[in-house]
Amino acid sequence: MNGFGSGTQASVLLLFTALVTFTLLMCVMAGPDRDDLANFYTGYLSLTPLKNGLAIAGDYISAATVLSTTGIIALTGYDGYVLAVSTALSLVLLMFLLAEPLRNAGSFTMGDVLARTMPGRAVRVAACLVTLSATLPFLVVQLSGAGSLLTFILDIPHVAGARTACIVMVGSLMIIYAAIGGMRGTALIQMIKIVILVGTSAVVAVLVLHRFHWSPDELLTAAQHGSGAGPAFLRQGLQLGTSAGERLDFIGFQVTVVLGVACLPHITMRLYSAPDVPAVRRSMSWAVGTVTAFCLLLIVMGTGAAALVGARYITAADPQGRTSVLMLSQVLGGAPGSAGATILYSAVAGMVFITLLSSVAGMTLAAASSLAHDLFAHAARRGRAKPRTEMTVAVWASVAVGTVAIGLATMVQDWNVGVLTTAAICVGASAVAPTLTYSLFWRGFTRTGLLASLYGGTACALLLLAFSQAVSGTPSAVFPDAGFDLFPMQSTGLVSVPFGYLAGWLGSRLDHRRRAADSLATRRLYEENEARLLAAAE
Amino acid sequence: MTYQAPWHEPYAREPYAHEPYAREPYAHDAYMREPYAHDPYAQDGPRPGADVAALRSAYRLLRRISTLAALGSFVLYIALSCCAPGLMGARIAGELSLGMVLGVLQLLVTFAAVFWYGRSARRSVDPLALAVRERARATGRSAGAAR
Repeated sequence: MNGFGSGTQASVLLLFTALVTFTLLMCVMAGPDRDDLANFYTGYLSLTPLKNGLAIAGDYISAATVLSTTGIIALTGYDGYVLAVSTALSLVLLMFLLAEPLRNAGSFTMGDVLARTMPGRAVRVAACLVTLSATLPFLVVQLSGAGSLLTFILDIPHVAGARTACIVMVGSLMIIYAAIGGMRGTALIQMIKIVILVGTSAVVAVLVLHRFHWSPDELLTAAQHGSGAGPAFLRQGLQLGTSAGERLDFIGFQVTVVLGVACLPHITMRLYSAPDVPAVRRSMSWAVGTVTAFCLLLIVMGTGAAALVGARYITAADPQGRTSVLMLSQVLGGAPGSAGATILYSAVAGMVFITLLSSVAGMTLAAASSLAHDLFAHAARRGRAKPRTEMTVAVWASVAVGTVAIGLATMVQDWNVGVLTTAAICVGASAVAPTLTYSLFWRGFTRTGLLASLYGGTACALLLLAFSQAVSGTPSAVFPDAGFDLFPMQSTGLVSVPFGYLAGWLGSRLDHRRRAADSLATRRLYEENEARLLAAAE
Repeated sequence: MTYQAPWHEPYAREPYAHEPYAREPYAHDAYMREPYAHDPYAQDGPRPGADVAALRSAYRLLRRISTLAALGSFVLYIALSCCAPGLMGARIAGELSLGMVLGVLQLLVTFAAVFWYGRSARRSVDPLALAVRERARATGRSAGAAR
């Protein structure tokens, strides 16, 4: 399949085993104390800003970012460059707008942030449901991608059984990391991952630039030629098209990415583990710096893949181009079978593998934490659960979330489920972002408004997406032959983000009219909490 | 201890962390965005809400400037990419088009923006937050003593 001898496969397998053993060992050694809840949910409060920043960046750069974005850059050029910029910008926006008040307001989960002014079970349940509907699709899409990716890397024939086995293997590892390691273990793995990821990407990018004598001109000329698109490669429009509607769709997608990606619960969860506001600021500076540098490397790697591999071969292996990084490393390494080729291919394969493992583990943990903390401890037991019980529940919740994700991923492995990434980002932008901004910055936000923006935003995003062109009607859709594409776009943010904000506002208006006492009480709670929100004053 | 606060010069000169507001209770009026005419504490000495209000408006200013700058430049960038593809596709040096250069430039400017944000926050927000924390601690202590 990928034209390599058994020597390369052996070294890749050896590297995988070493990585798994090493990270499992770290995870067991760093695991939380049995009774310390804060330890499980937030890891070390004593993590230095650099380390915490690396962990945030590690959580932020998922396998989907690494593989899909490189593929999109390699296949569509300019549109991919814009995607890289918006990916980096999303984290910048999180830092400027939400990071500091979020850190002061929350302790473990998103439910804590929202329930600080509106205690009650309905809020907790809503927070948990939205957390699940944002993390599960992301989890499923990455796990099902893991199947085809590992069979590609290890050169196993493409049969369903082999892919299922790979999905189950990656899924079990992810459950073990999340359940045993908790926040502390996953923080360590994210740090290891981001160092490996940025290091390897830098080497690949330097090799690409070196191949083209450090001349952007030569690289871009070759990329235009290799992509088969010519000058269009350096213009907007290859990804979705150039008509007015398709351009609007493109703008909508980019804005959704900017608003949505950084709001996803597994990333905001890392913020609660910073000891104070200056620390969270410095952590975010490191995280933003790392992510931005990585996005620059992504641009070079994607362009390099277009130039050196060529669009024809990339789409032949995977229509979305998710294997382009691996194919690039094969071309760069030199003659097949040589030492350089083996080392480079193994390194990139290892990088992809550890990225995949760590990002699914982080998402499992975020979903499980919300289930245990919001749904079990606060909604079911009304905050009277013993820490030890809650932690046991959190461990079993990771097992449950992981098992469900493995099951779903196995079921959908033959479909093109890239739309699930869009679903997660759209939920982040249309439900989580409005609710968090209102809850942190608007004292008039009430319970009805909160439920309306959480449920309304999620429902609007998912419903529209189900009837969008990403699900049916186009060749790249999940059901290319069906035709229920009533919503003529690939992503829903252009409608669902304003809808989420509007729902929150209207709901609060309604409460002001109908239940003035309740909304006054909420307002008073906001004002009492303001010193804590702004200055972490107790 | 002197902070070079660009926006809140008057706060910066005071060693407020050690000095309660009791001495000049109304000194902050001019710098607040929201008039607290209805404030029940206005009649008798220092107002507990004053330092929180100052912190709130400092945060708000910082947040607005940074968010609008980041989001605005990006929205402008994609709007130009979509509405004026000819302009963004114009070659400015060899194969490099204006759109590509602007995209990469945004990533590079990000480093500077993050540095600027950290510096501004240290100067404008942190001293005020420290004052709020000190006051909360003092209030908590006196409340504890009264009990």
